[in-house]
Amino acid sequence: MARILIVDDDTDLIEGQKAFLEKRGYHVETALAIEEGLEKARTTAPDIIIADLMMEHYDSGFVFCKKVRELPGLGTVPIIMQTAAPRKVGFTFETGAAPGREWMKVDEVLTKPVPLEHLLGKIEQYLSSRKTNA
Amino acid sequence: MPETRPAAPPQVSPIDDPAGRDREVLRILVIDDEEGMREGMRRVLERRGFSVRTARDGETALRLLEDAPADVALVDLKMPGIDGFKVTESITRRFAGRTVVVIVSALATVEAAVEVTQHGAFDFLVKPFTPEDLVQVVNRAAQQWRLIRERERYLSELASERNLSHQMIASMHEGVVVLNIRREPVLMNPRAEHFLGTHFRDGVTLADIFPDLEIQTAIEAVVEAAAGKSETRVLQRSIGDAEAGGSHGSSSTGAWEGMLSVSISPLMLDGERGGAIVILTDVTESWKAEQDKNRFVSMVAHELKSPLSAILNYINVILTGMFDDNPAKIKEMLERCKVRGEALLDLVRDLLYINSRDVGKVERSIEELDLKAVIASQLEFFKVQTEKRRIVAVLDAPLPRYPVRADRGDMDRVFMNLISNGIKYNRERGSLTVRITDAGDAWEIAVSDTGIGMSEAELSCIFHEFYRVKGPKTSGIAGTGLGLATVKRVLGEYNGRITVHSKPDAGSTFTVLFPKG
Repeated sequence: MARILIVDDDTDLIEGQKAFLEKRGYHVETALAIEEGLEKARTTAPDIIIADLMMEHYDSGFVFCKKVRELPGLGTVPIIMQTAAPRKVGFTFETGAAPGREWMKVDEVLTKPVPLEHLLGKIEQYLSSRKTNA
Repeated sequence: MPETRPAAPPQVSPIDDPAGRDREVLRILVIDDEEGMREGMRRVLERRGFSVRTARDGETALRLLEDAPADVALVDLKMPGIDGFKVTESITRRFAGRTVVVIVSALATVEAAVEVTQHGAFDFLVKPFTPEDLVQVVNRAAQQWRLIRERERYLSELASERNLSHQMIASMHEGVVVLNIRREPVLMNPRAEHFLGTHFRDGVTLADIFPDLEIQTAIEAVVEAAAGKSETRVLQRSIGDAEAGGSHGSSSTGAWEGMLSVSISPLMLDGERGGAIVILTDVTESWKAEQDKNRFVSMVAHELKSPLSAILNYINVILTGMFDDNPAKIKEMLERCKVRGEALLDLVRDLLYINSRDVGKVERSIEELDLKAVIASQLEFFKVQTEKRRIVAVLDAPLPRYPVRADRGDMDRVFMNLISNGIKYNRERGSLTVRITDAGDAWEIAVSDTGIGMSEAELSCIFHEFYRVKGPKTSGIAGTGLGLATVKRVLGEYNGRITVHSKPDAGSTFTVLFPKG
């Protein structure tokens, strides 16, 4: 059973996605803040991570992703970022473009609200490509 | 002398004629070596209302003119000493435009007429002449004198108008740069020099003044555009590091920094292309306001999308049918949808409130209010919530009344927000205390809870719009992120203040100082 870690400060969003993904047969771990998320990532070694961008700070998602990549065994774990921020975030980067994603160390950026089937499709896509590569 | 002057004397301002030369009486100097001639002419002319002086020779005449000018000089051609031609030359050289010379001569030939005019005389009068001849010639000379005066006045008006335009341009709050058809800067006012950090000097080029290529290109295009096509181009340029968030005004180097609107119009000279006029306007303030507004709108979009995402997420889970066998779970999700939906409504309500304050739509009606009554009614309003969480709410206000002068809606909003926070961020079975004390010319209202408290870092942000303390302890607590920002703004309008003391896990105290009514 593949393990998914969702990090988001919105309990309701987590609850909904967790309920859905569990019914689809995934094991779901959740965290409401980046410290808790890093701890869960370290202890549960997820197969894929879904992270929010704006949590305690507007860039918490980046900080989290960078730190996750430094954890043993998680250097290449697929990370999907989901955010309610506009695609073009005013300050420094554009989430839609490949260089932006590279810099953020995430594989995919999805804009909230993310339809459940779409999220599921992305999860399956990254998990299967991972299996093929492995 | 109605025949020599217009019916109404011309209006002459003292500036145009400081010596009062444009008065009614025309001043005439008669220069003749024959006394009978001099006196005869004087009699004729004085009878017609002219002011007449006489001189027996050229030297005397020039001395008299030095003392006081004459408007018309009647010069006898044949005199001992300096002859009439010499006198005429001297007069026209020294008093050109002020004295009109008429030669009086016995030589009635065309050659003589040409000669005297070559020497600078206006007309000539042939001896012998009748008094009417004399008056006629003097009137013509007077008319000429008036024409000269008028042209002079016109020229001086023109000069002062040019001077006025120049001073107007120099005094303008906008920067002005004028370029000729060869794109050479020909004028730059002090404001433009200030904005652009360059000084106008001979030989300065377009590129010296506007290093920005896009501005150069726009100026080229405007100058090139077909005549009559008076198209104006407008660009915006940031000068210095204003865009990087630098402070508005002058930088440490003294150079101007900010956002300029650059408006380039064709300069038309008699319907032909003559160059370009560039007007520079400081739009830093409105640009910053726009930036703030854009930032605010994108924050609002984010804040609206978050609850909507959560709600849609729940609904979509329910719609998959995967929980059809678990009605309790569905109900739980719907309850959360309701909470989030209500919070969303609160957000919209707060946004509308802020907007209405911003645009000044809210008519505040200032009345005398009792703070104790305002707060008591808010505590009553939140009774359901306090009881649900078993929080003990206390209003500690020993005086019978705490009068203030304020709008009831504003006061409700301030204390509704503070009390609502005191409940939401409290712990189960905690307490919420509102204490009013006398602080001299203000009332001090302290709202204390026994809840989760805040760290120093969190405290520094709580009055910012859309900031919400986020973490495991606050998850699930609904809020708009606008409450305290609004409280601070409203209090500011009444010269009130709000401060906060808090420690993590030990609760928070918000203290309001509000002027007594």
